[in-house]
Amino acid sequence: MSTTDSMESSTELVRLEGVKKYFPVTKGLVIQHTVGMVKAMDGISFAIPEGQTYSIVGESGCGKTTTSRIVLMAEPPTEGQVYFQGRPMERFSAAEQRAFRASVQAVFQDPWSSLNPRMRVGSIISEPLTTHQRLTKQEMKAQVNELLEVVGLHPFHAQRYPHEFSGGQRQRIAIARALSTRPKLIVLDEPVSALDVSIRAQILNLLKELQQTYSLSYLLIAHNLATVRYMSHEIGVMYLGKIVEEARPDELFTNPLHPYTKALISASLPAHPRQQREEIVLAGEVPSPLNPPSGCAFHTRCPFVMDHCSKEIPEYREVEQGHRVACHLYTDRGVLSPASTTL
Amino acid sequence: MNEQPILAVEDLQTYFFTNAGVVKAVDGISFELHKGETLGIVGESGSGKSMTAWSILRLVPEPAGRIVGGRILYQGENLLEKSQAEMQEIRGNGICMVMQDPLTSLNPVFNIGNQIIECLRMDSTPSGQSLSERAIELLAKVHIPAPRDRIAAFPHQMSGGMRQRVVGAIAISRSPNLLIADEPTTSLDATIQLQYLRLLKEIQEQTGAGIIFITHDFGIVARMCDRVAVMYAGKIVEQADVEQLFDNPAHPYTEALLQSVPNLDIDVDLLPSIEGQPPTLDDLPEGCAFAPRCAYAFDKCSEYPPEFSVEPGHGARCWRHHVNN
Repeated sequence: MSTTDSMESSTELVRLEGVKKYFPVTKGLVIQHTVGMVKAMDGISFAIPEGQTYSIVGESGCGKTTTSRIVLMAEPPTEGQVYFQGRPMERFSAAEQRAFRASVQAVFQDPWSSLNPRMRVGSIISEPLTTHQRLTKQEMKAQVNELLEVVGLHPFHAQRYPHEFSGGQRQRIAIARALSTRPKLIVLDEPVSALDVSIRAQILNLLKELQQTYSLSYLLIAHNLATVRYMSHEIGVMYLGKIVEEARPDELFTNPLHPYTKALISASLPAHPRQQREEIVLAGEVPSPLNPPSGCAFHTRCPFVMDHCSKEIPEYREVEQGHRVACHLYTDRGVLSPASTTL
Repeated sequence: MNEQPILAVEDLQTYFFTNAGVVKAVDGISFELHKGETLGIVGESGSGKSMTAWSILRLVPEPAGRIVGGRILYQGENLLEKSQAEMQEIRGNGICMVMQDPLTSLNPVFNIGNQIIECLRMDSTPSGQSLSERAIELLAKVHIPAPRDRIAAFPHQMSGGMRQRVVGAIAISRSPNLLIADEPTTSLDATIQLQYLRLLKEIQEQTGAGIIFITHDFGIVARMCDRVAVMYAGKIVEQADVEQLFDNPAHPYTEALLQSVPNLDIDVDLLPSIEGQPPTLDDLPEGCAFAPRCAYAFDKCSEYPPEFSVEPGHGARCWRHHVNN
């Protein structure tokens, strides 16, 4: 079950439309003047349907984390709109905002720094509840116990401190805390990359199971493509503040179109020593987002670069159903047809 | 296989003496590494893989940590009998290490040229060529673009991938016979990681150095290594040629670990996962340390298994292979 067709009709929970987020770069100690803009997000649009996982992959500095902060409403967009359940976040009333904060939660990469070492696990998990709900002590305790059991821990763990747990167990505590307000969306920022290899599958399976039980939506930020394939319903590939390709996992991995996606897949490590991957070695490193290349931002490293790539920004368009790409190879002006670029 | 190995580790034991008791970080491991060969040491945090590397370099943090037994034969000579002065000569000259985080292994207040030259200067026989010329050559060898301009750059002016290349340049500056790489790519992005792994292979082809790759990632093992040793709780639980290990994992831990890693090329519904947590070394169970998490555990597992031969060149510490022998 790659969980695609059955949920085609499901409703959208979050939608980003042309979201831009620029951070000014300033110089000067006393009199500050702006010397440039880091375009962390440069016109991002995507939607997360209810009960599904949308993943963003890309290298460091591509704007993945900024995107998650925009969705969490931790940061207002410079331009563009973010809709939650069809309502623009910009125009949320105070009550709506409070409801939003309860229905969106996050689980971070490092469970050593995301849990307060001076709080008992029970207080860590119930803290969001005290903010969002009025419960008696008894009700609170019952809720905490239930949450601990849901994530595979025991009620007696509520009395302990984070340092008494291993990495995998801490991540379970972080998940329990995220679940406490009965959220609709959880932002997962590299949820397993800090964990031991033998623990990762446990946590991924727990997240999948919880998604089914509570029909949760996930926004997954990750760099490991195999993890992303395992978890996602739809994947967006980001490069320097833009989504360059978007498709369902089976489509993206069997028929990658953008040269950057191809390079990312080819750079991922083999599952068996006899497995030979055609390795596309990209020249150089990701350019600075402070001064991104003209035209298609990828043209400086692209093995298929053409003359007009440095001049014109490629249009982001749907080339097959549900498969969007921004690359001149697939526009009318493209010299090569998609088939002749298969690697 | 008849030639003398570059490195032969025999029954190495590195213990830590703490208030809470003796922690056996490395508990009787043996392996060999030949010229031009790459050995992968795979394990989770606390399995003893990094401490194995520190032991080979005689850099175990004393006095808490001590190498209490075994032999480390580097080109036939036992490193455990060397004085610290002799070790200093071997470190850098014969055995080199690339650490996980290039930001902490480079000195932030010296430019990279100085840091490379510092190593070159230790060489007793400088050739006619000036030291900075040789530093530039080394930077070019690790594919740093415009090395002549880069030589005066400071570490903070470079990206993670570049810094790791500089560390690589320092490591090969005195043409070592043995390169120990401790998770050298974990802080790098995928496309940069691929560049770096290819660079290491290239260096190996040029110099014929043996490489020990310490990692938790079976993908790196599949891409880079000839032989693999899987560590769990301070012991090597399985050792084999890389294809043998992937085709026919003999230890339940290896088998479960290989199955639990998501695969990029196929869709799966539910990954088989390993239950429980990796053990803490100060509280190890009697007998096989993996038994509490093992799907095949039986009575015999309360006794620690010796290494059984599964096929030529392939051994595993698991009682299940006792019956077959």
